[in-house]
Amino acid sequence: MSIIKVDKLTKTFTTYERGGTFREALKSLIIRKKKIVEALKAVSFEIGEGELIGFLGPNGAGKSTTLKILTGILYPTSGSVEIMGYVPWKDRRKYVANIGAVFGQKSQLLFDIPPLDSFLLNQSIYNIPEQTFRKTMKEMVEMLDLEKIVRKPTRQLSLGERMKCEFIMAMLHQPKIVFLDEPTIGLDVIAKGKIREFILEQNKKGTTFILTTHDLEDVEHLARRVIVVNHGEIVFDNTMDRLRMHLGNKKSVRVTTHNPLSSLNQPGILIRKLHSDREAEFELDLSRLKLNEFIKRLNEESVISDMSIENLEIETIIKDLYGREV
Amino acid sequence: MMRKKTSSIYQWIKIYFHGMKTSLASRMAYRGDFFMSMIIMMVVELFGPLVTLLIYHNGASFPGWERHEVLLLQGTFLLSRGIAFPFFMGMVWNTIRRVQEGTYDLLLIKPRSILQMSIITAFDSEDLGKLIGGLLLFFYALKSVPALPLVNWGVFLLLFVFSLITMFAFGLFMTGLGIVWVGNYRIYEIFISTMDFGLYPRSIFTKVFQSIITWVIPISLLGSFPASALLGKEMTGVFGAMACSIGFLLLGLWFFHRMARNYTSAGG
Repeated sequence: MSIIKVDKLTKTFTTYERGGTFREALKSLIIRKKKIVEALKAVSFEIGEGELIGFLGPNGAGKSTTLKILTGILYPTSGSVEIMGYVPWKDRRKYVANIGAVFGQKSQLLFDIPPLDSFLLNQSIYNIPEQTFRKTMKEMVEMLDLEKIVRKPTRQLSLGERMKCEFIMAMLHQPKIVFLDEPTIGLDVIAKGKIREFILEQNKKGTTFILTTHDLEDVEHLARRVIVVNHGEIVFDNTMDRLRMHLGNKKSVRVTTHNPLSSLNQPGILIRKLHSDREAEFELDLSRLKLNEFIKRLNEESVISDMSIENLEIETIIKDLYGREV
Repeated sequence: MMRKKTSSIYQWIKIYFHGMKTSLASRMAYRGDFFMSMIIMMVVELFGPLVTLLIYHNGASFPGWERHEVLLLQGTFLLSRGIAFPFFMGMVWNTIRRVQEGTYDLLLIKPRSILQMSIITAFDSEDLGKLIGGLLLFFYALKSVPALPLVNWGVFLLLFVFSLITMFAFGLFMTGLGIVWVGNYRIYEIFISTMDFGLYPRSIFTKVFQSIITWVIPISLLGSFPASALLGKEMTGVFGAMACSIGFLLLGLWFFHRMARNYTSAGG
């Protein structure tokens, strides 16, 4: 069942162009050239209850604008959005009581006081009953190993500890949908791992997550479905498995041989990097060249000393999607 | 219906006090700065009345007003400012800064009115110095005034509430402008300069200007009218100023919400 329905969502902004030279800066004080930017061009999609979606796109593609409309921050130019029966920008107050948001680059915590005080302020704002508040906080604090942290002033916390507290801040009121905007930006692998574990745990309990990130590892670990936007339009909307197959049945191969490589110039092989005449990285298109035949021929001609075969990196696929003109 | 309304007012007050407590705790993390800022604010506020003392000391005066009466007027004005600035005018700076940084979004994702969130997160403890300065001056001036009838105090309190309404309306206009006019801190300076006309008796201005500060922008309600009520002086045009103050508030509310609708957020 769809919990989020977005239909033909459009958003245009008016910006003013200004040149880089001093003369142009001076001119822009009097005359400014107006520019209409179409951030979203009739975007449509639906998201089901309990889904964990990766919402991707290059910088300026329109993903933050979409997120801001979905969280009730911005009004769209046209189109419709219905989330849990609410129109975000019309029923904002009632609607946002049911959602949470974590912005990796904007903190909801107050810098000079402990996170616990910020949590208590949120308790008042969301009108969370005392017992529910204590229970939820205890659970989350334990899950994220923050027992000794929540009473320290926020400014003394590490980025990882702070980000974990941001999650508690966003989820104390037990929202049905949580929007995550770059939630693991700048974190080390351990903190990232803990946060990913937390997201998966909450998702198992039924919370829907919409994850916007440039960290493709986050997407690979968490998302089961991916929506890619580019130039204000959706260029991909399907499962992670489909995304992996997006560029066809291809493998990423790295090989080292005893003799110089001789059989790489043939259909089905795209050389990515030639380290030396005996070591190379390339893409193998299995629809054009069978893997066993390729290995057999390579071994006969050059004698393989080391080899790794992996699925095509998600980054390669995303780069392809980002690079396409709509 | 009535019960629901009472409960929502109770909620409003509860959240406000929680925001105030949190803000105070934040500021008190730096004790030295906390006390210094308050003292500086208090001293700065007393500069205006100091000029008044100098004027009277040199034999000059504001026609129709004794020295202690002008000080009472200025004490009232500072008292009004001393309540407005720490308790709700912080919304102006808060909004301008948050819109510029892009953190205004964080207020919009809370299940409260954006106006309430702008006020809750803006309690300014530094400005409590203004309140202390206002109280000191008001009671100092009051010492020289003979006993006043209770009715004068009643009218004074009523008009004082109107002075706060006027301040709040000013705040709404500036906050609204801060949403669409990103990073424009001059708005605040224009407001302060305009408001300073309230430091002096209305009668010293020309008739045209008196009409403007009574009927258009009711600055005369900030000090002149409440002090006149307390001292039993004439208050021609006070009802007009009160009506204007309500109009100003309604217009301010409309303007604020209209501007909030035009919020464009910062790049993501």
